[in-house]
Order: sequence, then C-alpha cells, then structure tokens
Amino acid sequence: MKHDSYTLSILVLSLAIVLTGCRPTLPTTYEEATQEPCVSPDNFGATLPPNIAPLNFRILQGEASEAVTHLHSQKGGEMIVGGWDVCFDEKDWHRLLSQTRGDSLYCDIYLKADGTWRHLPTQRFFIAEDDIDPYITYRLIRPSYVTYEELTLHQRSLESFDEHVIYENMRFSDSEQGQCINCHMPRNWNRDGQSQFHVRQKLGGTVLIHGTEASKVDLKTDSTLSAGVYPAWHPTLNLVAYSVNETGQVFHTLDPQKVEVIDYASDLILYDPEQNSVQSIERTASEFESFPAWSPDGRTLFYIAAHYTRRADDLDADLDSHYDQLHYNIYARDFDTETRRFGPRRLVFDAEALGKSASVPRVSPDGSHLLFTLADYGQFHIWHRSADLWVLPLGEKRPEKNGFTADSKTDDRSGKSHLPPTVNKITTAGNRNHAQTNAHILPETNSPAAESYHAWSSSGRWILFSSRRDDGNYTRLYISYFDRDGRAHRPFRLPQRTADDDDLLLRSYNAAEFMVQPVRVTHRQLSTIIKKEARKARYKGSALLYPEPDSTSAPLPASPAERRGEAVAY
Amino acid sequence: MKQRLPFTFVFAAFALFLLLGPLKPYLVETASLTPFYADEFTFGKLLGTHGGLLFQVAAGLQSCFARPWLGASLFVVVLAALAYVQRWAFRVGDRWFGLCWVSSFALLASYTQLGYLIYPLKQPAVAFAPALGALVAFALIGLWFRLKHWWCRVMFLLTVPLAGFWLFSFWGAFIAPFVGFVEVGRLHFNQTESPSSGQKHIGRQPFFANRASHLLWGLALFIVGLLLPSLLLFVLHRPLDVEVGHIPFDSLASSMRGPAAIALAVPLFYGIYHLQGKRQWMTAVAAVVFAASGIVVYTHSFLDSNFLNTLQMKHSAEAGDWNQVLKLARENEPEPTRAQVCLTRLALFKTGRMGDELFAYPDGSAAYNAPQQNQWLRLMIGPLLYYHYGKTGFAYRWAMEDLVEYGERPAYLRYLHGVARLNGEEALARRYERTLARTLFYKDVCAHEEAEATAIRPLMNFTDQLDGDNGMVEFYLLNSFALSEGGSRPMVELSLMNGLITKNLSGFWPRFLALLPTWQGHIPTHYQEAALMVAQLQGAPVGDLPIDPTIRQRFQQLVEASARMGDNAANAAALRPQFGKTYWYYYFFVDGLKTN
Repeated sequence: MKHDSYTLSILVLSLAIVLTGCRPTLPTTYEEATQEPCVSPDNFGATLPPNIAPLNFRILQGEASEAVTHLHSQKGGEMIVGGWDVCFDEKDWHRLLSQTRGDSLYCDIYLKADGTWRHLPTQRFFIAEDDIDPYITYRLIRPSYVTYEELTLHQRSLESFDEHVIYENMRFSDSEQGQCINCHMPRNWNRDGQSQFHVRQKLGGTVLIHGTEASKVDLKTDSTLSAGVYPAWHPTLNLVAYSVNETGQVFHTLDPQKVEVIDYASDLILYDPEQNSVQSIERTASEFESFPAWSPDGRTLFYIAAHYTRRADDLDADLDSHYDQLHYNIYARDFDTETRRFGPRRLVFDAEALGKSASVPRVSPDGSHLLFTLADYGQFHIWHRSADLWVLPLGEKRPEKNGFTADSKTDDRSGKSHLPPTVNKITTAGNRNHAQTNAHILPETNSPAAESYHAWSSSGRWILFSSRRDDGNYTRLYISYFDRDGRAHRPFRLPQRTADDDDLLLRSYNAAEFMVQPVRVTHRQLSTIIKKEARKARYKGSALLYPEPDSTSAPLPASPAERRGEAVAY
Repeated sequence: MKQRLPFTFVFAAFALFLLLGPLKPYLVETASLTPFYADEFTFGKLLGTHGGLLFQVAAGLQSCFARPWLGASLFVVVLAALAYVQRWAFRVGDRWFGLCWVSSFALLASYTQLGYLIYPLKQPAVAFAPALGALVAFALIGLWFRLKHWWCRVMFLLTVPLAGFWLFSFWGAFIAPFVGFVEVGRLHFNQTESPSSGQKHIGRQPFFANRASHLLWGLALFIVGLLLPSLLLFVLHRPLDVEVGHIPFDSLASSMRGPAAIALAVPLFYGIYHLQGKRQWMTAVAAVVFAASGIVVYTHSFLDSNFLNTLQMKHSAEAGDWNQVLKLARENEPEPTRAQVCLTRLALFKTGRMGDELFAYPDGSAAYNAPQQNQWLRLMIGPLLYYHYGKTGFAYRWAMEDLVEYGERPAYLRYLHGVARLNGEEALARRYERTLARTLFYKDVCAHEEAEATAIRPLMNFTDQLDGDNGMVEFYLLNSFALSEGGSRPMVELSLMNGLITKNLSGFWPRFLALLPTWQGHIPTHYQEAALMVAQLQGAPVGDLPIDPTIRQRFQQLVEASARMGDNAANAAALRPQFGKTYWYYYFFVDGLKTN
C-alpha cells in the first residue's frame, strides 16, 4: 500500500512537472525592441467582436530561437502562448474577450535571439461592444476562368472554427457535364431559415431553402435573358429580385488583372415564389442592369446600371474592345409593397461623373448607409485592382408613405427628377459635386488590391467583405467594424485555426454573407431536390407601374463557348 | 524459394528496363503531374475523404518518379510485394508462383500504356494507387483466411471493411463481398464444417469436393471479382474520370485493365487452387503465363516515339538546355507533331539560331497517337510556350485552368509561379513557392527562373488587350507575332519569322529593315532567302541588299529548276534534296500543316 502511494505521488509529481514545463512563461528580463512584429495574418489594430473566434497567427521573425506571446487586457485577464504558431485556447480566448468588451486588448510578443529576450512593441486590438452574427456562408472556388471543379458552399461559425459544407458540386458532375453552384444568399440573415442558391449546367435550377425544406425552380423564361443570377430577397414579402445576365469572360494578354468578366446584356426581374412567376423590372437593351438590393423597409430597390451605346454590329467584339468604357451608376426604383409595382428609375450615385463604375450596392439594416464598390470600370470588381469600398450616407429616414405619385412616372435617365427627399440632395445632374462629395471611400477597409463583394451584419455594425490584398489573386474574407458615426475601422481577416489554413489554400472565398443561424437543410436533402426536375417559372409581364416599351433585343447570337463560361470567379 | 527467385529477378529486370529505358521521360512527366504535398494541411484534408490515405501514400511514392531510378525501384518493390502477398493470401504453391505475377504485370501495364492519357486522368496516383490498393486487398484476404476464431472473423468483418473503405477506398472494402461469397459458396456447396473445424481446412485444402463445384465457384468469384470492383470504380472512384472533351470510353476502360486483371486473379487462384501437386508441367504453365504477361505488357506499353521525344524535349526546355532540345529534334525519326515543331522553334529562338536554321529542322503535323487531337499540345506544353514567348496572361490562364481541372500539380504551379514573378506579383509568387516547398522534388523547380525572366521580359513589351485563344496555342502565337507591330528587338524578329512561317509577307520589309543594323554583318540565312524571294515576288530591286552571293546563286538555281520542271508536286519532290531546308521550299511547297 505504501509502495502504491509512493508510485502515485511520483506519477502526480511527474505529471505536474510535465504540465508546468509545457506552459510557457514570460521572460523576466528582456530588452525593448523597436522592430514591429511581423506576423501572418497581421490583424493588429483591428476592432474585434467580443464573440469572434481566436485570431491565431504565425510569427514570421524566424531569426529568433524562441517566441512567447502574451495577450492581456487592463481588466485582468491574460493568455500566454509559446512558439511561432500562436494558437489561442478557444475557451480562454472567449473569456478574455468577454471581459474586455468595449476596451483594448494588448498583445506583447517576446523573441529570444542570441540568448537574449527582446520585447517587440505592444500591439492592440479593440474589442467592440457589439456582437457579430454567429455564422457566415460563402463559396470556396479556385480563382479560375472557365473551368471549375470542386465548388463548395459552406457555412462557418464565426465564434469557432467549425465549418460545414452546405452543398458541393461533385456529386452530380461528370465528364460530360459539370455542375456549377453559386450565390448562396440567405434572406434577412437567415432569420427564418430562408436562403437560395443557383445550380448551373447539370440539373440546373435555383434552389430555394426554407427551414428543412427545399425546392428547385427554373427562372429562365422565353421573355427573359437568363435564369436568375444575382439575388436580392425582399425583406418583408416573399419576393426575390434577380438580375438576369448574359455574362462572358475574356482574358488579358498581359495585365495581371488577368480576366475581365463582362455582361453583354443584363436586366432585372422579380420572382414571386408563391406564384412561381417572373416579372421584368428593367428590360432595355441599351442599359445593363445588375446587382439588385432592397432597402430594409422593402420599398426601394437599388441596383447598378450602365448605359451602352452600340458602336459596331458585333456586340461581343465591341464590348471586348471597349470594356473599360462601361461605367455603372447606382439607381433605385420605389416599390409599392401593396400593388407590387415599381416606380420610375432614379439616379442615386453617379459614378460615371467621377470616371468610375459602381457595383454591389448594399443598404445598411437601418437604411442609413449605402455600401458599394467603386472601381475604374465594369461591374465584376474582384478582378479590378482599383476596386475599393465606398459608402453613401442615405440621410434621414424616408417618409412612411408607401408608393409614389403619378407625376413621378417620367423616367429621366439623367436622374434630374423624381428623387426621394433623402437622395435628391445627393445626386442630381445639376448637383453632382454635392452628390459625389457625400459619398466617401472607407480608407480603413481598402488596400491597393481589389475589395469587392460585401455584406452588412444584421446589426449593421459589421461589414464582411472580400479582398485580394494578401497576394492580389486569392480572395480572403475581412471583417470591419462600422461604427455609429459611419466610420469603418481597421478590418481583421476571417480567423483560422492555423495560418496554414489561409496560406496554403489555393482557393478563393466568394460571395460571403452573414447569417444569424445555420442552414438546417442537409446535403442529402439538397441532393434529392437537385435531382428532381425544376419547376418552370412563368413570365407575367412587367412589374413597372408604367411599363416601358420593350427594347430588349432578340437573344444574342451564340458567342464562343469559351467566353460564355459562367461568371463564377467572383 | 529457389523457384521464386528467378521470377522475382526476371520481373524486376524487365520492369526496370522498361521504366528506366524508353519510359524514363514518361516517369519524370508523371511525377510532375502528381500532386503530393508533405504537410499536415494536405494530409488532414485527404484523410477527410474516403481512400485519402491510399492516395496520399501512393501520390508520395509516385512523386518519386521525379528521380526515375528511385521511383521505378519503389514501383517494382510494390509490384513484387503484390505477387508475394497473393502467394501468401491464397497459399499458392511454388509451382504456380509464376501466376502470382500476372496482377503485377497487369498493374505495370495499366500505367505504362496510358501515354497521353496521363494528362487528363484525375486520379492522383495512377501508377501506385491501384498497386497499393491491390496489395491491401490481398493482404486483408490473407489475413481473413488466417483468423482462427469465429469471433475474430466477426470483429474483422464489422470493422475492417468500413475502416478499409475510408482509408483505402474500395480496395479496403473488397474483403466484405469477397468473404460474403466465400461463406455463401460454402453453404451452397454443403461445406458443413463448423467454423471452428472449418478453419482447419481453409487455406489448406480445396473447398469443394467435385469438379462442377469448382467450376461454379470459379464463375461466382469471377463475377464478384471482376464486376464488383469495376462497378465500384465507376461509381465511387471519381478521380479516374476523364474530363477532357469526349475521350472514348475505350481509353477509360483501358486504364482499368490493371485493376480488372487483379480482380481476375482472385478466381484464377481459386480455380487452380486444388491443382496442388508436384507435376513439372505446372511450373511450365506458370512460366509460360509469366512470360506471356511480360510480352503483353511490353507490346501494350505506350512507347510512341513522338510522345516520348516530346517529353524529353519538354524536360530539356524546362531545364533551360535548349541545345539538347534541338539535338532531340534532329534525332527524332518520324514526322514530328506540332508540339515537337513548336518546341524546336522555341529552342531555335532561344539559341539565336532561328533565322539560320528554322526551316532546316523537321517540320510536320503528325497526328498525336491519341484521341482528341486538338488538346494535347495545350495540355503538354501550352503554359511553357506562352511563358517563354512572354504571353503571360495565357500562360497563367492555362496553368490555372488545368490546375482547376486536374489538381494542384507541380507542373502547373511552376508556371503560375513564373508568371507571378514576371508580373511583379511577389506575394502571389511566395504563395506558390510555399506550395512547391512542400513537394519532395520540386522545391527548386524555379531555380532557372531569373535567367528565364531576363530573356522573357523583352517579349512583354506589347499593349495589353482582351483576347481568347480557344486553346489553339500555336495558331495564336503564330498570328499574335505575325500581326504585331513594333516592340523590342526579339519581338520584331519573332514578328518577322512568324510572318514568314504564316507566309504573311505584308510586314516583311519594315521588320527586315528594322533588324538589319542589329545583325552586324551577318544576315541570318532564312532572312536573306526571304528578302530575295519577296523582292522577286514584288518586282523590287535586290542588287543593293547585302545578300550572300551563294544564296543569290542558289535562288537563281531554284528559279531555273522550277521553270524546267512540271507541276508543283513534281517540283516539290525533285527540289527537296537540294532546297528542302530553305525558306523558298517552305514557301512554295510546304502546305497544309495543321498548326495545333
């Protein structure tokens, strides 16, 4: 018995020694260094949500022999991690952030070289008061051109590293026909479990998810250019606005921007899932409309449009050689939620006047700001290095009155009239300078590389956006705090379990959106639905209060298959 | 043992001769098309899919083909191990040991016969994965036969196929249907032994009592052994899928011959199992089958001269050894494919001998010994050609398209990296460097890059535009240079030469005159020939041109000889010996080459 106790004591002692030995300790003596820490990803200075997953990183200063990282706040909590790969314990991290809510979190890195410890300048994170939506959804895709394989729609917890595949395309792809999937878009941050995504080519259709149910519809009609492409769920009614696009890709021979994704025609449609019907909103051959987005009250539809004057018979060749002259402005149409009719078009942001081109307008949940991407030309800005995030304050709330007056029926393409009070002061042809000065770039979020597809969190306090700032080619997700003064803070990259998860992944994050809850429908259920025939939507005419003459040209002639590749490289 | 060693030595010698002899460049190419990255990141991802372990290990071994002697030795060891494991699993007597090599030969052939199909096959390790998989399958069968207790067998059946499937794809699960058939067959043929007493017999004596039962049993095993794996291959084993165009099914089926042959071996062993004895004819039969298998492997291996020559030229080009490329072009006997012609022209350009020798090298448009003619040039050397000619947009594009389609192969990453460096995209280049650094043999693949870049940068002096090549690499390159204006000196020379190649002489004089001062006394022969000819065709005076008198004399001879003779075909044949290596001959008599 005595012998057993003795053995047990030794074991416990050994274990304690081992455990203590494993726990890194801060050096007691060290020199102060002036060299800033070199880490990947470098998120220092960012504002973090208190419920975000650990921001693990790798220390790149390889000349040192040992490294210790000390994370601490003035409120008392701390974490100490040894080694080059700084991976924080999730539970401790969350405890520390919770304690530090609304305050600063400090990070000290100590490096040992030539037997001497050096303390690098203290870095700081700011912990916001506002939580972030706990989930995001996105697609992983190679930054590819025409070919595509292994596309996956994911949902990821922002509070941890849990990632699940909602749907992957290889189950039904074969050597004869592949399957492309894109645009997983939740409605109202997936509050009611409603979302949609597209399946192209094999077993194509648009999949509508509602809770644990799903259905597949075919939105292509004889009267519309294509099936639905970029979606915008109506916030209160069961309606989805889509763009319909004739999209192609052409390749730069020298420019490192590599690909230009061009719409050779595009319109807008409104889909009613209950009636399975499609109505056209914009249907003009000389205007290329795309990227619809509803205001939070559902009474305004924002979108982008470029005016196109045909210079030659060969539309493809014409656009290919003048691609850099397509400038998209942001427009809006009022929407009567009772009659479900749209009013006339009005100009919201005149990008063309700045020699620029706007894309992906998104209104903040409180309706106060319009966030968009601005680049030199075109609309597929992830391939444009000039693309930056801009914001346009929309001013005070719009009047409560629903609908619009009869005198607003004239659709002035120059945007000289019919603007609602809030945007009237911002953008009119005669008042452009004032309009353009109200919109402003978000300097903290932007980089020399492309910033593009972006989404608001349900609280409106966080912006999720795509950026190619890391290497110019592989898109990564960044999250920025958007404060109550309309100012974006320094963003941080989507947290990963290890630095390798981003460094070695030769895929891009694409079309990311926030969600307040995960998608519940299973992969198997989706596969079953996708195997079924899609319900074909029927065309129900124009959704405009005063329909315009149909000027959409006849279907475009077939173009080289190469250029007609699905625009999947977002 | 004495009877086993000769088989082993003969097989090893034969396989090494084949792999390290004519197929050596094929091994090197296979390695560059094998995505193997030795790190936790990739390993973790692969373990997340069924068969991940098998493919990871197989890809690791296959990447050793980059050092052909190492890869070939490993391959031979695995194939030899397969024969021994079969012998062990089925307790094959030494007299029948020669038959155990049939599967190894079949698997060897399944790799060596692929040829051009090595490019579009998506299976990450076409050589090693089936061999290792079969090894696992037979090892599990052998293990099953040696389990003594019924509960061991139950546990084995409950766990091994499931885990096996996850780790080794259907090879690991093959044991389940196999055992099912064994047990069903046993019941069917009234094998009444209890499990405990039955174990005494399993593997030691025939299962069945009469000849009819053997026949039926062999048939049943044949069905399960052949059809089931084939079905699984199609349904589950997606990486074998061929995705480029509509390659005929035969090609896919041929790549399955190896696995199918292994499956055949199962009933074969059962069929012959009871024929134990000491009769000499058994050894003779086994030896004949062994020898026949070797002959079949050799005759079915893809030893196409143009294919292997193209690979050698490509590897020399990637090593920067342009003189070796030209040597290989000269040594190749059959009519070359366009891929070989393109590599030859690139090497002539790189060595500065284009103007003197281009039309002296073999030209032709021999068909690729494979279906889908229009894709092989792009798949084999598309990014290489675009990269070296400074068309960085398309070099990157095709390397990326193929990476998307066929996986993260080092063959593509090197060009993605090269273009990133040329574009000044340092962060992107570092990303590709990090990826290449995780390979076993491609860490230094970009070592020549700076020297290459020095030669390539002058070719990038052109205005960017949006364009498409429809995968017609040679056609695009020829026309983009032939129709271009201005640029650096090498670009103007390429414009001049590609104008001559495409017989578009409209821009000849401006380019010729622009280059004239740069030749410093020696105008390359083909440009002299072209100048004389163009002047003659346009009725321009040629007296002031610094043309070598010998060339003037030869041109006069050509004009006179042409006038004396008959139709164009007769002229072409008659003048070829004397003028076949001149631009004049190319211009007047070489027609119908399919550029791509």
